[in-house]
Amino acid sequence: MTMAKEAEPAVRTARNIRRGPDLARLASRREVLVAMAIVVVIAISTAVHSYFWSSANISFIFADSIVVALLALGESFVMLGRGIDLSVGAIMGMSAIIVGFRIQNHGMTLLPAIALGAAIGIALGLGNALLVGVTRLPPIIATLGTFSVYSGLEFVVTNGNQVDTIPNSITNLGVHTVMPGVPILLVATLPVIIIAAFVLRYTTFGRAIYAVGDDAEAAYRAGIPVQRILFSTYVIAGLAAGLAGVVFLIHTSGASSTTGNTDNLSAIAAALIGGTALTGGRGGAFGALAGSVFLSATLTALSYVHVSDIWQPAGVGVLVLLAVIYDSRGNAVRLPRPHRRSPKEGRPQ
Amino acid sequence: MTSAGRREDASARSGPAAAPTMRAGSTYGAIDVTKSFDDVTVLHEVSVQFQPGEVHSVVGENGAGKSTLLKLMAGVYHPDSGSLMLGGETLGPLSPRDAQRRGIYLVPQEPRLMPDLSVAENLYLGALARRRFGTVAWRVMNEATGGMISSVGLRVDPRTQAGRLSLAQQQLLECARALSRGCGIIFFDEPTSPLTAHDAEKLFGLMDQLRGQGLTLGFISHRLDEVQEISDRITVLRDGAVVAREERGTATRDELVQAMIGRKLSVTRRAEPGRAPATGVLMLDVADLRIPPQVNGMSVQVRAGEIVGLAGLVGSGRTEFAETLFGLRLPAGGTVKVAGRDVTGFSPRKCIDAGLAYLAEDRGRSGIFADVDIARNESSAILARLPRRLGVFIRPRREQELARDAAQRMDVRASSISSAIKTLSGGNQQKALLARWMLAKPRVAVLDEPTRGVDIGAKESIYQIIESMAGEGLAVLVISSEMEDLIRVCDRVYAVYEGRITGELGGSDITLEAIGHLVVSAS
Repeated sequence: MTMAKEAEPAVRTARNIRRGPDLARLASRREVLVAMAIVVVIAISTAVHSYFWSSANISFIFADSIVVALLALGESFVMLGRGIDLSVGAIMGMSAIIVGFRIQNHGMTLLPAIALGAAIGIALGLGNALLVGVTRLPPIIATLGTFSVYSGLEFVVTNGNQVDTIPNSITNLGVHTVMPGVPILLVATLPVIIIAAFVLRYTTFGRAIYAVGDDAEAAYRAGIPVQRILFSTYVIAGLAAGLAGVVFLIHTSGASSTTGNTDNLSAIAAALIGGTALTGGRGGAFGALAGSVFLSATLTALSYVHVSDIWQPAGVGVLVLLAVIYDSRGNAVRLPRPHRRSPKEGRPQ
Repeated sequence: MTSAGRREDASARSGPAAAPTMRAGSTYGAIDVTKSFDDVTVLHEVSVQFQPGEVHSVVGENGAGKSTLLKLMAGVYHPDSGSLMLGGETLGPLSPRDAQRRGIYLVPQEPRLMPDLSVAENLYLGALARRRFGTVAWRVMNEATGGMISSVGLRVDPRTQAGRLSLAQQQLLECARALSRGCGIIFFDEPTSPLTAHDAEKLFGLMDQLRGQGLTLGFISHRLDEVQEISDRITVLRDGAVVAREERGTATRDELVQAMIGRKLSVTRRAEPGRAPATGVLMLDVADLRIPPQVNGMSVQVRAGEIVGLAGLVGSGRTEFAETLFGLRLPAGGTVKVAGRDVTGFSPRKCIDAGLAYLAEDRGRSGIFADVDIARNESSAILARLPRRLGVFIRPRREQELARDAAQRMDVRASSISSAIKTLSGGNQQKALLARWMLAKPRVAVLDEPTRGVDIGAKESIYQIIESMAGEGLAVLVISSEMEDLIRVCDRVYAVYEGRITGELGGSDITLEAIGHLVVSAS
C-alpha cells in the first residue's frame, strides 16, 4: 500500500452520506435506462406509424405487459438470491386454467378468483421451494423438472377442454382505463410492485435475499438463514405466477393446455432487461416492470412494421442474450480487477 | 486417419504394455532462483541441489517459500531470475508438461486425480493404451496397471474409481503415475499432513525403496521428526532464503527449529512478566471438543478482557476448531460455552445472538460481500437488529450512521461508506469486517488469521483494535500462523498440533522458540 492511500481520509462525515443520488448515478440506474429505451422505441414507432401514439395502443402495451411483469417480479426474487425458476410460466398456466374453469363453469367472481389463483401459485411454488430449499437440488434442474410436471398437469386438468367464455364483468378490467393510456390493470398492479420494492429494500428479509445472492457462504457466516431465504423466494415466485394467471384470464379472456409454456423466457428476459443479474445480488422490483413494458412495447412495435408474430420468441431470445452480454460487459468495465489472480500464479501460502 | 496419427497409436500401444521402466534420477538443482508474487519476494537467490539416491528435505515456517521452490522446479512457476540445472544442462522455461517429459514429477499436497475415472485411467491419463481402431485396450491397460501400482504398495482393483481411494492410496497412485511416466525425480509437497501416522510410515517405506533404486527425491514437511527420520539432506528456508544446509545426523531438532525461526522479534510483546493474570469472568469455555480427524479433544478457556492465541501450523485443526465453535461444523463430542451458556451445535445465527463472533480465515470467500457497499457489509450480521420505522422498514440513513461510526472506530480508510468493499485494500476490508462483528456486540470474538493479506501498517492498527476490544471487556481468541502476531497481542497462547493442545504459554514464556517447538510436534 502506498503512502497516498494511507493518507486518504477516514470514512466521510454524515453530511456527505445524506447527499441524495446525483444525476449521473440516477441516469446509470437500469430502470431509468430502460425507461429511456421505451421512450425511444415509442418515438420511432410513432414516426413510422402515427397510430402507435394513441391512448388505445399505449394502454394495450401497458395491459399486455402486466402478465410478464408479475412473472418477472417473482422471478426477480429468485434471481436476486442467485437462483432461477423455469416453472413460473407453467404455474401461471395452471392458475389460469383452474381459475378459468371455476369462473366459466361455476360463476366464480373476481375476488375469490384472485384468492384461488394466489393459493394455486403458492402451492406449486412450494414444490420448487422444497426441492431447492430443503432437498437442495440445483435450481435449474429442480424447476426444469417441475416445469415439465406442471405443464403436463395442464393437459390433465383441461382434459381436452379450454377456457373461452369469461364473462365481460371480468374481462372488462383488461380493457378499461382510469385515464387515457393508463389501464386499470396497471394501476392495480403498481401497489404490488411497490410493496415488493419496499420488502426488498427495507426489510430484513429483502436484505437477506441480496446477501444470499451476493455470497451465500458469507451470508451464512453472517448469521443469515440461507436455506430458509431461498425457500421463501420460490414461494413468492409461485405466488406472483399464480396472480399472473388470473391477470392472463382478464387480459386474454381464455386459457388452454399450453398457456404459459413460452412465458418463462419472457419473465427471465424482463427481469434481466430490468437489471436483475443472473449472478444474484443485483436488481429490483421496478426493473421487472420496466423490463416487461419494454418487451411489450418492442414486440408491439414489431407487429406495427408487419413482422409476423411467429418471430416473437426469436425476438425475446435475442433480447435476453443482449441483456446478458450487456451485463457481463458492464461488469468488466466496472471492476478494474482489484485482485489479480491467474490460475497459475496464485499467491502461495 | 493420417499416417502420423497411426504412428502415435502404435507408440501408445506399446508404451503402457511394456514393463515399468525405472529411470534412475539425475542431479537436479536450482541456482540463485528468485521469485516474487506482486511485490512480495517469496524466494531470494535460493540455490539447492537434489542428488540421485537421496531424500532431500526442505523445511521452514509457513510462507518460508518451500512450496514455491518445488513448484518452480516442477515448472508450475517460472523463476524471475536464476536457472534450473538438470544433470549439467541448463533448462529453459519449463511447463509442468515439459518437466514431466524430462522426468520431473511433483506430487501435490492434495492429489489431483479424476475421481470418476478408474485407477488405470488415471494412471494413463492422456496416454490410454489403444487397439487397432483407436478403441481403448482395457485389458492390456488394467493388467499393466496392476503391476505398476503393486510396485508402490497399492493393492486395489485397477478398475476402482479413483475417488473411492483413501487419501493415502491416492498419493501412492500419484507416485505410481510419476513412475509410469518414467520420472526419476519426484518431489513431494507436504504429503504427510493429511495422512495418519500408519499411512505416513507406508509412504516413507516407498520413498526408502525408491531411494534405493537411485531416484532423486525431494520432500517438504512441517513435521521435523519425520524429516529427520527420512532425510539424507536437509535445507532450511527462512523468509525465502536458505539459512542452513544439514546432512543426515548433523543437526538436532533444536538446531533446526532455531534455524527455521531464528530471527529477532520485530514486534513488542504484550504479555510482560509484570502483567497480572486475567481475572475476568470466564467467557469462552470449550471442553474436549472433537471432530475427528482434524480436532481430537481441544479444551480452551478465555476470560473477559483477555487475548488468547491459538498457535498452530496450517492443517493442525485450528480453523476446524473455530468453525465448530461457530456452528459451521457439528462436533462429534465436547461442549462450547459462551458466557456460561451452552451453545454446542448452535447455528451461526444463534451463536451470534449468544454473543459469539467469528472473523473467517478466508476473507474473500467467506467474509466480504464484494460488490456491496461498506455499510451493508458491516450491517449484514445484525440485519434483524437495525433501527427501523413502524417496526418493519429498515432506516438506511441510521444504518449508514451506525456503520460509519463503527468504521471510524476501526479506522477503516475509504472515500465513502457507500463505496463497494472490494475497492478497499485488504487491511481496510479486514477492518470493515471487524466493524461488522463489533456491531454485533459480541462477548467473545474469535479472529482467524486477522492479519492475513494485510500490509504492515494495517497490521499494527489491527493489533491495536484487538487490544481495544479486550480493553472493553471482550474475550478474544486469535488464531494465527504468524507467531509474531501472537507474541504481539496475546496474554496467553495455546499451541495446537494435530488437533490437540500441546502446550500453553503465558507471560514472558511466549517466545518464538517456545511456540516453534510446540507447533511442530507432539512431544
